[in-house]
Amino acid sequence: MESQPGLRLAGKTWTIGACGQNTSVPVLCMFLTRSEYDRGVNTFSPEGRLLQLEYANQAIKLGCTAIGISTSEGVVLAVEKRVTSPLMEPTTIEKIVEIDKHIGCASSGFMADSRTLIDRARVECQNHWFIYNEKMTVESAAQAVSNLAIQFGDSDDDGSAMSRPFGVAILFAGIDEHGPQLFHMDPSGTFVQFDAMAIGSGSEGAQQSLQEVYHKSMTLKEAITSVLTILKQVMEEKLSDTNIEVMTMTPGKMFYMFTKEELQEVIKDIA
Amino acid sequence: MSILAYNGGAIIAMKGKNCVAIAADRRFGVQAQTISCDFDKIFEMGPHLYLGLPGLATDTITVMERLRFRLNLYELKEDRKIHPKTFSSMISNLLYEKRFGPYFVEPIVAGLDPVTFEPFVCNMDLIGCPNEPEDFVVGGTCTEQLYGMCEVLYEPNLEPDDLFETVSQALVNACDRDAISGWGAIVYIIEKDKVTIRHLKTRMD
Amino acid sequence: MALLGGYSAGSFPDYEVQGAKKVHFSPYADNGGSVMAIAGEDYAIIAADSRLSTGFSIFTREQQKLFPLSNTTVLGCSGCWCDTLTLTRILQARMQMYKHEHHKELTTPATAQMLSTMLYYKRFFPYYISNILAGLDENGKGCVYSYDPIGHCERSNFRAGGSAGALLQPLLDNQIGYQNQEGVDKTPLPQDRALAILKDVFISAAERDIYTGDGIFINIITKDGIKADKFDLRKD
Repeated sequence: MESQPGLRLAGKTWTIGACGQNTSVPVLCMFLTRSEYDRGVNTFSPEGRLLQLEYANQAIKLGCTAIGISTSEGVVLAVEKRVTSPLMEPTTIEKIVEIDKHIGCASSGFMADSRTLIDRARVECQNHWFIYNEKMTVESAAQAVSNLAIQFGDSDDDGSAMSRPFGVAILFAGIDEHGPQLFHMDPSGTFVQFDAMAIGSGSEGAQQSLQEVYHKSMTLKEAITSVLTILKQVMEEKLSDTNIEVMTMTPGKMFYMFTKEELQEVIKDIA
Repeated sequence: MSILAYNGGAIIAMKGKNCVAIAADRRFGVQAQTISCDFDKIFEMGPHLYLGLPGLATDTITVMERLRFRLNLYELKEDRKIHPKTFSSMISNLLYEKRFGPYFVEPIVAGLDPVTFEPFVCNMDLIGCPNEPEDFVVGGTCTEQLYGMCEVLYEPNLEPDDLFETVSQALVNACDRDAISGWGAIVYIIEKDKVTIRHLKTRMD
Repeated sequence: MALLGGYSAGSFPDYEVQGAKKVHFSPYADNGGSVMAIAGEDYAIIAADSRLSTGFSIFTREQQKLFPLSNTTVLGCSGCWCDTLTLTRILQARMQMYKHEHHKELTTPATAQMLSTMLYYKRFFPYYISNILAGLDENGKGCVYSYDPIGHCERSNFRAGGSAGALLQPLLDNQIGYQNQEGVDKTPLPQDRALAILKDVFISAAERDIYTGDGIFINIITKDGIKADKFDLRKD
C-alpha cells in the first residue's frame, strides 16, 4: 500500500492514500480501523492488532470441530467431518493425519493451508531423525511448524513466503521422552501445551465442557468417551462412522486411527 | 597397490629361552580372492634353520629354490651346517644381486646356532637390508598389526610353550585385522633337540 | 602446457618463460596422532596422544586432541589438524544450537548421528580426520562410535584410530574383545583394567609409530561427569 496513514484521534481527519494520491476524508475512526488496517499483514492497527490474524482466527471458527485430550496413558484426538453431499466420498476428507510414528495432528480451518503446514512438520521430523537418529519431540515439531506459520507477509530472502496467515489451527498429539502431550497452534504460530483443547466451530462450547470433565487421573478410555460425548453435543449431525475421525496416540500402538468398526463401537458406548 | 601385497600373507618370528618360534598364515590369494588355504611360506632349510618368505608367491618359491641351491653348494663345500647369521648374509647377497629388479619378498630367518644353539631371528627388506633384533621380527601385509601385538605380548626368555602361545596370539589377532592374511596358521617351535609344528585353526573370513 | 613443461626448463634454457611456474597445492596435511576409546558398563574412556607432527618434525608435544562436546560426550580427532579445528568448532556450534532449539542436551547417540551427516555433507571434499566419539547412551551405558572421513559410523565397545590404529586395534580385539581366547569369563571390563590396557597399548604404539608419542590425554566419562587425566609416553 502506498499510503502513509496519519492517524488522528477519533472523529478527526483520516488520511487515506490510493494510487499515490492523498485525500483527506473526515470520517469516524471506528469504521476505518477495520477497513484500513486489515489490508496488509505488515501493519498493526492503532489498537495494536493484526487484523488479518484475527480474520484467520474467524476462518477457523467456521471450520469443523476438533477435540483433543491428553492423559497419562496417551492422547486422543477426534474431529467432525462435514459430509456436505451424499455423493461425496467421506474417506477422502482427512482431518487427522500422521506426522511421524509418534506425532499425529488434527486441523481445523482451510484444509489446503493445513497441508502445507503438515508437510513441513513431516519434513522436519524426518530431517531430525536423519540428523540425530532420534524422535523429534512434540514441542520441537510444533516449533518447526510455527516457524513456517509466522512467515507470512512480504517475501524475504528465502523466496516466496505466504502472503497471508495460514487459516488453520492445529492440535498436535504425540509421545516423546516427556510422555503423552497435546499442543495447540493458531494462525499466528503461537503454540501452547494443553491437557485438553478444542478448535473449530464448536470450540467454545467444547472447551467449556472439557474444563468440566477433565481431570488429571483420566484414563484413555474415559478420554475417548468424553471427547465423543462433547463432539456429539457440538455437532449438528448425528455421530456416525463416516462423519467423525478418532485417533489415539499411545506408547503401544503409537499413531492409531480408529477403523469404521471401532468407531461404531465407541459411538454405541456413548449413545 | 604394492606388488608385495598381491598375494597377501603374514609371518612372525620370535626368540625365547633356548628356543625360537616362526609362524605364518596359510593363505594364498590373488588380491581379494582366496585361492587356497594350505600354502607354505615357511621352509625348513636345516635341522634348526627355518626361512619365511612373505610377499609375492611366485618369488617366494623362486627365492626358496635358489637359496636351497646355494645352501646345498655351501654345505657341500664347507661340509658343515650353516649358521643362521651366515644364511642371512647369503639371502641378503642373493637379493642385492637383483637390486634394480628385485624379488618381491621380505625374508624372515629363524634358527638356532648349530654349535651353541643360541636363538637367532632376522628379517630384511626386498633388496636384502638385514635387521637382527633381540626380540622379534615380522613381515607381510599386516606388519603394523603384528608390531602392535608383539610390542605388548612379548617378554624375554619365554619357555617353548609360552612362546608358542605368544606367537600364535600375535599372529592370529593381527591376521584377523587384515583382509588378505589368515585362513589358518602354522607355528614352528625350534628347540635344541626337537622342532614342534602346530597347525592353528583361525576364522576363515 | 606440454611444451612449456617439457622443454622450457631442461632442454631449452634460453627459452625459459619467466613466472610460468606450476605451483602445486595440497589442501590436506597429515598431522598424525592416535585416538582410542573403550566403553564399559557405566563408563567410557577415551584417550589421544599429545604429539602434533608433520613428517619428521614435531609441532608440539602437548596438543589436546580430545574435545568434550557435552557432559556425556567426548570426541577424539586425529589426522589433518586444520580440519579438526574447523569440524570441532562447527560441532560445538551445532551442539549449542540444538540446546537452544530443543531445550535439552544432545545425547551421545544423537551426536554420533549428527557427526555422521556432517561428515557426509562434505563427501566430495572431506574432513581428513579419523574421528572417535565416546560417551554414555540414553541408558547410561558406555558407547564408542568410530568414523571414516566421509561419515561411515559404527558403534562398538572399543576402537582405536589414527596413525597407530592398525597397531592398537588387534590388541583391543584380543584383550578386550577376547578374540581367539578360550575359556575366559567374559565379565564386564572394570574401569581400572580398561585404563591399564589403554596405557599399555599406547606405550607399545609409541614404540613403533613415530607419529604417536610424547604423552596421552585421557578422559573418563561417567554419570558424574568427565574426569581428565594425563600419562607420559616416550618423547623421541
